[in-house]
Amino acid sequence: MGTNLLDAELVKRVQAGDSVAFDILVQKYQHKVVNLIGRFVSDKAECYDIAQDTFIKAYRAIGNFRGDSQFYTWLYRIASNTAKNYLASRARKSPSYVVDVEDAEHFEGESGLKEYATPENLLLTEEIRNTVFAAIEALPDDLRSAISLREIEGLSYEEIAEVMDCPIGTVRSRIFRARDVIDKELRPLLE
Amino acid sequence: MGIDMSELDEKLSVILDEYSDDEQSHAVLDEVIGDVNLQYQLSRYQMIGDVMRHELPVQINHDLSHQIMARIGKIDSVDKTSATSSEYSNEPGSFWSWAALRPFAGMAVAASVALVSVSIWQSVSTNPEQGQINESVVSVQQQKIEKLASQPVLGNTVTVSSGLGKGMRWTVINDAPALQQKLNAYLVNHTEYSIPMQGLIPQARVAGYDSQQ
Repeated sequence: MGTNLLDAELVKRVQAGDSVAFDILVQKYQHKVVNLIGRFVSDKAECYDIAQDTFIKAYRAIGNFRGDSQFYTWLYRIASNTAKNYLASRARKSPSYVVDVEDAEHFEGESGLKEYATPENLLLTEEIRNTVFAAIEALPDDLRSAISLREIEGLSYEEIAEVMDCPIGTVRSRIFRARDVIDKELRPLLE
Repeated sequence: MGIDMSELDEKLSVILDEYSDDEQSHAVLDEVIGDVNLQYQLSRYQMIGDVMRHELPVQINHDLSHQIMARIGKIDSVDKTSATSSEYSNEPGSFWSWAALRPFAGMAVAASVALVSVSIWQSVSTNPEQGQINESVVSVQQQKIEKLASQPVLGNTVTVSSGLGKGMRWTVINDAPALQQKLNAYLVNHTEYSIPMQGLIPQARVAGYDSQQ
């Protein structure tokens, strides 16, 4: 299963009536969608309302999604239009900059969101961030390099194997072990 | 399902990076969809990447996916309800389904209009075949009436009904032939037109008061 074929498989299952597959897509893209909407709407509560509406619209329309574009491109277009429609309906002025659909997945997520957080959730989010970075710092070099090359640099397994001069199977194992160690630290915060 | 947990965890990591083959991915996805703990684990793996790429919002809504799925659950239940009622009303074998009755509804309306039109037309016109019969009846009746009308009235009065009491008599004046003709013509016309007209009695009764009253 190559790039984005996981999305394609999940979409296919949603179209067949499997709503759990849609839940996986929601969990995969929720933060990106919220960050994108945060470019248009500064209020946090409104941001999450629009994010909800975006996913509901996507769910309703997914039967018509034929895979001509990537799922996330299609989803970001819905999010962008939903945010713009929301602003138009409230007769609010949109930010002067416009996020293009193709650029949406690359923008810096935090910059658009303003100081709207409640203390509890803000603390939890900060704690999650600190825990993950602390766990990464504590990783052995080979694991930290493998997961950093994958998640931050976006290299493929083959490219990481070449950089680290090891077999692809080792890359696969290192990335998993790194995630497993970080997950063990993260899980208590989210349960 | 033949996949132990540590092996499954690693495969979960691999399908997140989309580096497993189709068959393996389908098997792992089947496991994930059937196990909520694996879904949470996949979500946490996703979150680790979001944090590392600085894509985590300043404040996360931990319940966002639950809220979305709750709304989707409501949508699905409403859709299923409407689909069930729709299936019931449009059941292919259902005699009472609108789809089955629709072609006949138009025909029924057209037939009703035609029936009313024919009934009205019959009531105001004569059936050609029946008209021939009526014509012969009318001609015989007409001959009898004309014969009676031409006969002179005997006496001053004619008793219309022997059962009538005194005072309820019609006095015919012998020296008023115009009146006599007028009455006879009325009777002839009445008989002529009453036979083909449904609901009209061919007999006529002329009633009046005595001149003394």
